[in-house]
Amino acid sequence: MSDPALTETGAATAPAPTGIRRRRSKRMKTLFPYLLVAPAVIYLLGITLYPGIYAVVQSFYAVKFGPWRPVGFENYANLMGDYQFWGALWNTFVIGSISLTIQCVLALTLAFYAYRDPWVQGWRIIFLIPMLFMPSAVAFIYKLAFLDARVFSDILIRLGLIDGNLSIQSSIWGSRALLILADVWQWTPFLFIIFVAALQGQDEEVEEAARLDGAKWGQIFWNISLPLMRPVIAVALILRGIDITTMFANVFIITKGGPAFGTETISYFIYRTGFKFFNFGYASAASVIMLILTIIIAQLVVKRAFRSGRA
Amino acid sequence: MASQRRRKGESLFIRYLILGTWALFCLAPVLWFLSIGLRPRTEIITPQPIYWPTFSLDAWHMIWSDWPMAKYLRNSVLAIIGSVVIDLVLAIPAAFSLARYEYRGRDDIGFYILSTRMMAPAIVAIPIFFLFRNMGLLDTVWALMLVYAAINLSIVTWIIRSYMIDIPKELEDAARTDGASDLRILWEIIIPAILPGIITAAVIAAIFAINEFLFTLLIASTPNAYTMSVALANFTGGSDGLIYNAIALVAFLAFVPVFLVVVAIQKHLSRGLTMGAVKG
Repeated sequence: MSDPALTETGAATAPAPTGIRRRRSKRMKTLFPYLLVAPAVIYLLGITLYPGIYAVVQSFYAVKFGPWRPVGFENYANLMGDYQFWGALWNTFVIGSISLTIQCVLALTLAFYAYRDPWVQGWRIIFLIPMLFMPSAVAFIYKLAFLDARVFSDILIRLGLIDGNLSIQSSIWGSRALLILADVWQWTPFLFIIFVAALQGQDEEVEEAARLDGAKWGQIFWNISLPLMRPVIAVALILRGIDITTMFANVFIITKGGPAFGTETISYFIYRTGFKFFNFGYASAASVIMLILTIIIAQLVVKRAFRSGRA
Repeated sequence: MASQRRRKGESLFIRYLILGTWALFCLAPVLWFLSIGLRPRTEIITPQPIYWPTFSLDAWHMIWSDWPMAKYLRNSVLAIIGSVVIDLVLAIPAAFSLARYEYRGRDDIGFYILSTRMMAPAIVAIPIFFLFRNMGLLDTVWALMLVYAAINLSIVTWIIRSYMIDIPKELEDAARTDGASDLRILWEIIIPAILPGIITAAVIAAIFAINEFLFTLLIASTPNAYTMSVALANFTGGSDGLIYNAIALVAFLAFVPVFLVVVAIQKHLSRGLTMGAVKG
């Protein structure tokens, strides 16, 4: 890449450069920032736009083992009547919103107690340990503890809370709760550390002034600190929300979508349709619908949150 | 720093009860899982769970002798380092452009880069699978490298951008009046000034790459390109089912380096995790 600034200073000091050269260097100067950002954008287009178009095209074909057979809107029509697809959307929503709510409340509570505590400052890393494991590893921890080795049941029996082993695997809500628990355990720390940082970044004098006015600490937090950190909460919840709604490893390892498709998330639905039943056209149609939902949400929610969040 | 006074309307007892309970909740499963990694296979899945197992290094010997663990490790390390290098090469100029120039469409470009973070892996999984199959890259570390780089590029760009915005403009202007070119300013002034930010971005990208599961599962269809994350799901002894002590040990094998680097960048972590939105 040639260097616009150098060319320009060269043009300015050189005795009598031609007008063409000056114009070119000026154009170069306006183009320069685009050239800097272009490689990254092209790379990302390759990995989003190309697959996006590919998925749209494929969604109009029946793609199984043989050649592609055009079917028009058949895949979409079938999807609309597919209770497993709607079920997957519903499961993603239910598991995601419950998990996100629990994580947010827990993280805020913990941050509220921790953020000005010098002792916690030093030992904060303990609270982060769960999120430093690979998600697939965490999935196995919970699979073993709750399903295969029944440690959880055993502890409850020893405490005298239940009589026999829990049958988590055969219960839809039991399985959902397990997925939620694994997610809460691993990712509440993510929200916690962000909230703590946001709270610590706030002006301590404001708190002090309110305290001198006789406000209780809980009131200060609720009325002053919390509203101030609203943009941060929005950004953190969006990032967490994205990861929850795309949850895959936990479903793949712990429940395989069962029982009775009760824990099948949309990611797992696409994976199963495409890579277990090799029904790629149908899976692509589901991908396209999800892509459209993602774009709508991104435009409505995320753009605003990140605009205000960075101020 | 923090006021150590007891705050009005709050009891220290409740504070430490809640935080202590949470610390226990975080640690207990980890310690128990560690004990799984250090016990013989016969004591894992039993009619009654065993809480005080006999110590054994069976799993440690097994992961090196029964599986190509060294290869999985090598795959992980190669794919991760390669992807982080690709990310930095692409993201540093992009972030420089987004942070230090005013031009038409800048905010839209920035948002486009950000928005790729929202794409569910499952949406693009099928086309990416076919793309790599047609390129003959299926089942190779190269494909993993390219995918990890794509997944993390938005994060890395936005983190670095956030650090670049914080550099006072005067620093740059002074150099410019001395006749330094834009690229030299980037290389000699900006990059050294935001080195902690670049390291943070690299560490976070590396962690996400270690964690990546869905793409790796699809691209690495044989152990040839398995990484630690997917290898875990394949520690099975056929009819014997999952070999949990091996799984546990490999989980900790991946955990230790992550833990160490996170301790090192702790101060920057919250800023990195929010892609620069929180200046912690």
